[in-house]
Amino acid sequence: MAAKKETYSEAMKRLEEIVSRIESNELDIDQLGEYLQEAQKLIKFCKNKLYKADAEIKKILEEDNEAQA
Amino acid sequence: MENKPLSLLELNSLVRRSITSCLPDEYWVQAELSDVRVNYSGHCYLEFVQKDATGNALLAKARGIIWTNVFTRLRSYFERETGQAFVSGLKVLVKVTVDFHELYGYSLTVVNIDPTYTLGDMVRRRKEILRQLDEEGILTLNKELELPVLTQRIAVISSATAAGYGDFCNQLLHNSFGFVFYPRLFQAIMQGEQVEQSIIQALDRINATRDNWDVVVIIRGGGATSDLSGFDTYDLAANCAQFPLPIITGIGHERDDTVLDMISHTRVKTPTAAAEFLINHVRRTAQELEAYEEVIYQEVPRLLQQEKQRLGSFVTRIPGQVQMRLQRENFRQEKFQNRMKTAWQSRLLQENYRLQLMPRLLSALQNRVQRETHRLELLTQRVDSASPEKLLKKGYSLTLLDGKVVTDASLLKPGDEVETRLAKGKFRSKVINK
Repeated sequence: MAAKKETYSEAMKRLEEIVSRIESNELDIDQLGEYLQEAQKLIKFCKNKLYKADAEIKKILEEDNEAQA
Repeated sequence: MENKPLSLLELNSLVRRSITSCLPDEYWVQAELSDVRVNYSGHCYLEFVQKDATGNALLAKARGIIWTNVFTRLRSYFERETGQAFVSGLKVLVKVTVDFHELYGYSLTVVNIDPTYTLGDMVRRRKEILRQLDEEGILTLNKELELPVLTQRIAVISSATAAGYGDFCNQLLHNSFGFVFYPRLFQAIMQGEQVEQSIIQALDRINATRDNWDVVVIIRGGGATSDLSGFDTYDLAANCAQFPLPIITGIGHERDDTVLDMISHTRVKTPTAAAEFLINHVRRTAQELEAYEEVIYQEVPRLLQQEKQRLGSFVTRIPGQVQMRLQRENFRQEKFQNRMKTAWQSRLLQENYRLQLMPRLLSALQNRVQRETHRLELLTQRVDSASPEKLLKKGYSLTLLDGKVVTDASLLKPGDEVETRLAKGKFRSKVINK
């Protein structure tokens, strides 16, 4: 679970990196496609975290619930 | 008469009359509330106590009563001013009359209350706890924790039946942004004397699975003022301050912050506000993501467009460039040709001139040769006329001593052998005399 949180932060960090490169015009036009693809994946990953219920988390919390009951 | 025993009633009447005459006024008295209870008709019965400095032994005790008409007024006044329910354990300053009833005995009847005394006492107690936490270096530990980027997995400490918990969950789960939250209830008693231990136990349960949670929320339903003294204890504060996850409190009171509020990571007033706080936190994260998304989806096409324009401008510039280059080359060639022509012409002129000079040169050379031939002939003639052979033929002779011509007779000594050369032949002779 802790690792997943890290991944969100890491994804945001990587996005920030890509954005700042785009903004400073540092990107080679050949790399643009690759970066776009990577950014899309990262955005999707982060959005899922925010907006989609994670079955794994639910399961863990339910197990925890049962243990407490 | 002196020996006639009094009935108990008579004695008690005597005590009552004595008390009434000796203590006829109303008195302000400081005491701690104990065993406070309100009966069906709204009268409040309680005990006033005074403890020693350690707080363990009782030094004084008196029964107290607040009649319903007074109690209704005083309670709302007290609770409005202190934000604190009128319950056991509070220190109060009350105005009382001292009464004695033949049947019920000694009691104090409350006629007024000064809430500022209680407030002062609560503040003093909180200050004392905060000072101790500060000395131990744990006062700000929870505040120093960084709130995770995502605060979705929420361990909630509350009582299941409290409206506050329901409000909190509703607010979270129906947030207008559609964020996902995973709240889970860790039940605790949120009222009365058991608050402290009950919350500590809930914290222990959360701590056992702490990797499963991003944040802890302690909430209590709002509404009627109740006893908050349970949130003002050292043990609870110390537990919360050192808890490894950020704690958000929404204990639902309007007045002073409890010690728990002061040491928690974030303090809000109500459970709904706690939910709002968490939603807004995730909202900020989402906004950051949206900002990145915007840049990426706007900037990348813009960069591509920009690149396309650059390419376009190259294409339009190429024919112009080529033409310019050709012109330049033409010009260079013309210039070169001109230079060649000029150089060639001047060379031709030079050569022509040289060619015209040649006959003059030839005749000059011939003259020179003739002159030199003539000079040579003259010289030959002069040489010939000066040759010894010619002189010898004329009768002159040549005398030599040891192979060298003798031109001075004084250089000869008698006895020298000399050679004499004539036009024809030679002879040797000896000098006899001079």
